[in-house]
Amino acid sequence: MGEMEKLRKEAESLKDQITAARKAVQDLTLQDHTSGTSVVGRVQLKIRKTLRGHLAKIYAMHWGGDTKLCVSASQDGKLIVWDTCTTNKVHAIPLKSSWVMTCAYAPSGNMVACGGLDNMCSIYNLKGKDGSVKVMRELAGHNGYLSSCRFISDSEIITSSGDCTCCMWDIETGTQKTIFAGHLGDCMSLGMAPDFNTFISGACDFTAKLWDIRDGQCRQTFAGHESDINAIGFFPNGNAVITGSDDASLKLFDLRADQELMTFQDSSIMCGVTSLAPSISGRLLLAGYDDFNCNVWDTLKAERVGTLAGHDNRVSCMGVTGDGMACCTGSWDSFLKIWN
Amino acid sequence: MVPQYKAERLRLQQFPWMKGDSPVNSTMSVGQARKLVEQLKIEASFCRIKVSKAAADLMAYCDAHACEDPLITPVPTSENPFREKKLFCALL
Repeated sequence: MGEMEKLRKEAESLKDQITAARKAVQDLTLQDHTSGTSVVGRVQLKIRKTLRGHLAKIYAMHWGGDTKLCVSASQDGKLIVWDTCTTNKVHAIPLKSSWVMTCAYAPSGNMVACGGLDNMCSIYNLKGKDGSVKVMRELAGHNGYLSSCRFISDSEIITSSGDCTCCMWDIETGTQKTIFAGHLGDCMSLGMAPDFNTFISGACDFTAKLWDIRDGQCRQTFAGHESDINAIGFFPNGNAVITGSDDASLKLFDLRADQELMTFQDSSIMCGVTSLAPSISGRLLLAGYDDFNCNVWDTLKAERVGTLAGHDNRVSCMGVTGDGMACCTGSWDSFLKIWN
Repeated sequence: MVPQYKAERLRLQQFPWMKGDSPVNSTMSVGQARKLVEQLKIEASFCRIKVSKAAADLMAYCDAHACEDPLITPVPTSENPFREKKLFCALL
């Protein structure tokens, strides 16, 4: 038997082992467990603020830690840092490349990052001595577009790329510290664990992977979606992962049981999920779709309990504040809206 | 609908193994297949907890935090940083 054939058989056998092991712990489903719980009451969030200023499609937004500041990235070639309570623009940062796909706010509030079709992650220092915002570092090394980025700290950042890898960078030296390889398709999204020890990636190979940040190891792989995973996030206690896909569904995977516990879909929803964010208790799951709307799901019952209708184009990004007070949606219609 | 940027992808999206076929497909090199087998060994050795425990813990977390979740239990207008504070003037 040739080596390739041996490896093929071994892989098949291991895959069957994993399937069997997952089934062996399926003593009860999440639905069984929550069958006695009633659906959470109808959620009717209202638009409290509209952030106007971008001149083209907004592709990404990210809240700044526990503050009410957020950063947004648009195809108009600007990063804007907003004070969302006053709707004032704190910074309007012109970008070298307008083909931006992602942005991130450092937990410290000292920096923001962005990247896109330039294949680079650019880091901007917001707290420069003379008050102006300058490029601090340009992290080059990916062989494909930058789809997402998230700071670990002011000195380390994780990026996901169309080259099918994720990478951890040392911002100070501008070098790649760890490359996370394993996905068989473009990495589209990443989410940082609440304890910053692991992160998750969603890719165009229809799987999500959990990675150990320190040793670069992929610990778990979750399959089940039937198309690209565009959005990914952790359940607030870090024990579960939620994914949103072009297959029009979201899925909740429990990390400790190593399997899918819930699918959020409806026969009336036929367009892809672009973005997602759980509420601070995890009970609500907000998801942005290609059809210009957002749906609010009861995470435990997989029923829709509300919609956020207010954009005139695709909802491309969303996020819930650190204290859970509000949700922000960003759209191709060039506006960001704050809801609660 | 395919978002604009996905048209930039150069790779073919053909993953027959996702649909139940062999994880080792015909386009892989021996090196890639070896790596895949090593990865599957790591994933197979994972210690899983019972779904009932996982489900109970998720539910318990939601229950414990729902009352502090402003999107479920709305805060009064005065405590909502995104709402205009109404100023009341008293005629003296």
